[in-house]
Amino acid sequence: MNPRDPQYHQASHDSQSAATMNAIHLTEVDGIPTLFAYAPGPLRAGLVFRVGTADETLARAGVTHLVEHLALYRHGLADYHYNGATKAAFTHFHVEGAEHEIVDYLHGVCASLADLPMERLETEKEILRTEESRREPGQLPLWRYGAQGYGLVSYPEWGVRGLRPEDVRHWTETWFTGGNAVLWIAGERFPAGLTLKLPPGARHPLPAVTSALPTTPAHFADGQGGVLLDAVVTDTAAARLYAGVLERELSRALRQEDGNSYTAATDYTSRRDGHAVVTAFADSLPAKQDAVLGGFVDVLAALQAGRIAPADLEAVRTRADTGLTAADAAVRRLPGAAEDLLAGRPPRGLDELRHELWSVTPGQLHAVALEAAGTALLQVPAGHSASWAGYAEAPVRSTYAVTGRRFEAVAKDGSALVVGDDGVSVTVRGRDGGDLAVTVPYRSCAAVLSWPDGGRRLIGTDGLAVAVEPGLYGVDAHTMAILDAAVPPHARVELPPRQSAPRAEAPEPAAASSAAPARRTGGQTAALVVLFLLGGLFAFIALATTVFGHDPDSSTGEWLGLSGFLWAVTGLIVWPAVRILRRTRRA
Amino acid sequence: MSSAPGADPGPDFELASAFPEVTWLRQAAAAADWAAIRQYHDSLPPGTDRAFVVGVLAEDDGFEHALRRQLAAVPHDVLALTVLGTRLIEAGWEIRTGARAKNVSREQFKAFHEHLREAEQLLIRATALDPSYDAAWAARLNTALGLSLGMNESRRRYNRLARYHPHHFTGQARLLQKLCPKWGGTWEDAHGFARECLLTAPEGALNGGLVAEAHIEHWLDLGAADKRTEYLAQPHVHAELVEAAQRTVFHPQFARPYGWVTVQGCFAALFSMIGDTTQAAAHFQALGNLASDYPWDYLGKPAEQYIQHRDTALRGRR
Repeated sequence: MNPRDPQYHQASHDSQSAATMNAIHLTEVDGIPTLFAYAPGPLRAGLVFRVGTADETLARAGVTHLVEHLALYRHGLADYHYNGATKAAFTHFHVEGAEHEIVDYLHGVCASLADLPMERLETEKEILRTEESRREPGQLPLWRYGAQGYGLVSYPEWGVRGLRPEDVRHWTETWFTGGNAVLWIAGERFPAGLTLKLPPGARHPLPAVTSALPTTPAHFADGQGGVLLDAVVTDTAAARLYAGVLERELSRALRQEDGNSYTAATDYTSRRDGHAVVTAFADSLPAKQDAVLGGFVDVLAALQAGRIAPADLEAVRTRADTGLTAADAAVRRLPGAAEDLLAGRPPRGLDELRHELWSVTPGQLHAVALEAAGTALLQVPAGHSASWAGYAEAPVRSTYAVTGRRFEAVAKDGSALVVGDDGVSVTVRGRDGGDLAVTVPYRSCAAVLSWPDGGRRLIGTDGLAVAVEPGLYGVDAHTMAILDAAVPPHARVELPPRQSAPRAEAPEPAAASSAAPARRTGGQTAALVVLFLLGGLFAFIALATTVFGHDPDSSTGEWLGLSGFLWAVTGLIVWPAVRILRRTRRA
Repeated sequence: MSSAPGADPGPDFELASAFPEVTWLRQAAAAADWAAIRQYHDSLPPGTDRAFVVGVLAEDDGFEHALRRQLAAVPHDVLALTVLGTRLIEAGWEIRTGARAKNVSREQFKAFHEHLREAEQLLIRATALDPSYDAAWAARLNTALGLSLGMNESRRRYNRLARYHPHHFTGQARLLQKLCPKWGGTWEDAHGFARECLLTAPEGALNGGLVAEAHIEHWLDLGAADKRTEYLAQPHVHAELVEAAQRTVFHPQFARPYGWVTVQGCFAALFSMIGDTTQAAAHFQALGNLASDYPWDYLGKPAEQYIQHRDTALRGRR
């Protein structure tokens, strides 16, 4: 319960040596702050930069990821384990191996960053496109933050295609500098002969936190996969434990008691700015979505009401403490500590962390639950709503339409495109007779997707989008030219020809739905193919296991478990594909 | 000779006639005597259907201000949350009226939904604070219905209630409504659930009366007179009603809990319409002129229908 608890003394005494081993020492390599911790086993290291997707713009999205790929290209054939990861605000280069391999790798990454292999540019772009087709980014960030900053992780890497060598070089010189880096090393000793030759540069502050939500708690409806939630809370040990307790409560209520969910999970990600994002997810049988949503709302409400089972808190706390005192605890803490350091937060001692952990009271968890309730964003399955539970509808329309030249839809469905001096709007007649509008002002246009057939899609920084399809609205070439000249050049994204441009002859629901504003983005056809193929394969295996897998050597429980697992995997694979299908509309 | 017309007294629809404590509850609510109400409520014997008590307290809109005052002072007052939630559901239905959806205006629906949403949020808090509180779950079965939250959500709410109160008559009656085709269910589910309530309830409990409610609902839904007659003429319907009555209102251990007038009224009405005047008369005699709007408002003007069926049954018996 607290540090005066005898159990605590016992635990702390037992792990005395672990504590010493887990100490993080701050030093320097070539002027770059370096965190070192003793750890048995192979040497591990990570070079971390304070740059990520959230530093980009929508029209240049993917540039950091591209740099990460280019910097690692020359290691392509090394037989030690290494990796790179581009996150929202940090980019990690990670390696594990013998001392000389670590030294070689870090040296190589620095050398590559100083002189990127531009001859690989187009090939790496292609690789990123392939990688992207397998990525199913969540929608929560874009609804919370908009089409900017932390919201960009939800979007495709639209900028990659148009990046020129000089753009990539400029990005690297701005962000991948010695001043903007921290190194961490875990091993039995500090590797000899380590040098980090990085160009000088400034430490960058964390990305600005933008908001696309006028009010919280809020909700939006999308997808078929279940219920998701994220909430921004103060980054504390109590908040971390809250995420753990929430996971247990969700599993207990939705899986064990109601039997409507197979998976219920939560995640806790520090944003390193004193706040963290708690994410929670519960999947659902398609027929049980209403009950999963209801159960999810009630689990949150119980925690908000302060109904926190002491046993849950203790279980989560004990697990967290084990994580802090395990032999590899320092290794696991170092990447986060490096991010903290880059964000100006000095590394914290193990004793301090454990003290904070064991001081957390149920009352503090209750306070976190209330804080989370105030900032919550809920994603409910398409066709559902959470207004009844007090979650406001996240905006899907603008508060105004621009004035300017008006083009009625060729399909005569009542929708119209308005091209004004300051922006564009699509309007539809609402049920109450008034006009509903989606507007993208040019000055806050995050990206303009441009197809060779003349089609345009303007995406505002708030995440709302307007499709400008000349064929659907009979827009003349002169007006299109004016529009092209009006949008900021840095927002322009040239895309390859589409398989089919929207046509006025085939309007059916397409015209209405392009007028009904989508926040979503297209271009996931490749993902569809891959996911359905994989889904089909797993469905076959699952079916075979269900039908033939019940051999006499294994128990019925095992057989049921295996069949269930395989079906769950099938579902998890097909689910994103179904989401893409439902989200993206082909005219 | 039968007795002269008008000699028998008219039916008594006053709730307080069946349950004298209702008078006291109404007075306490009117006086906003919160301490007395709480003491009464908290001392109810285990197994009492507290949704009934909360329903009486929520009858009068005059109580709303007092409830809001109480919640401002004690935000975690589960009883106050539940009574106010139930009051708002009542107020919402008063605005919506019981008319078919197509005859309800957009403004009426908007106000109805606003009331239900506010009620639901109070009730979410009530069940979060005390997941064992029957009246709050029973009220949430009503909000789930009015807000169209879905069949599985209604079932989930009922299951949450049943974890603590496996034979909760009001909760079962509300889920039964949801299981009827008019709210998106099927007759198979509705009759199946009613039968399950009958078979799992203790001997002499009221729950099996839902078998009769399901048949009344089914009868009403058929619309055309010949189809209704045909439905009630089925031998299994009669047999099920006889069995249900024996296990409930005619069981030696039957103790007339909250809701019994409605259930006995259902039996009386059904047997009368079937033409089994002997059975009908026994139920009317047990009622002793007590009545509730349901099910008589399904047949026409409640008082007229009651008198007509009662007189026919008692005459036929003689």
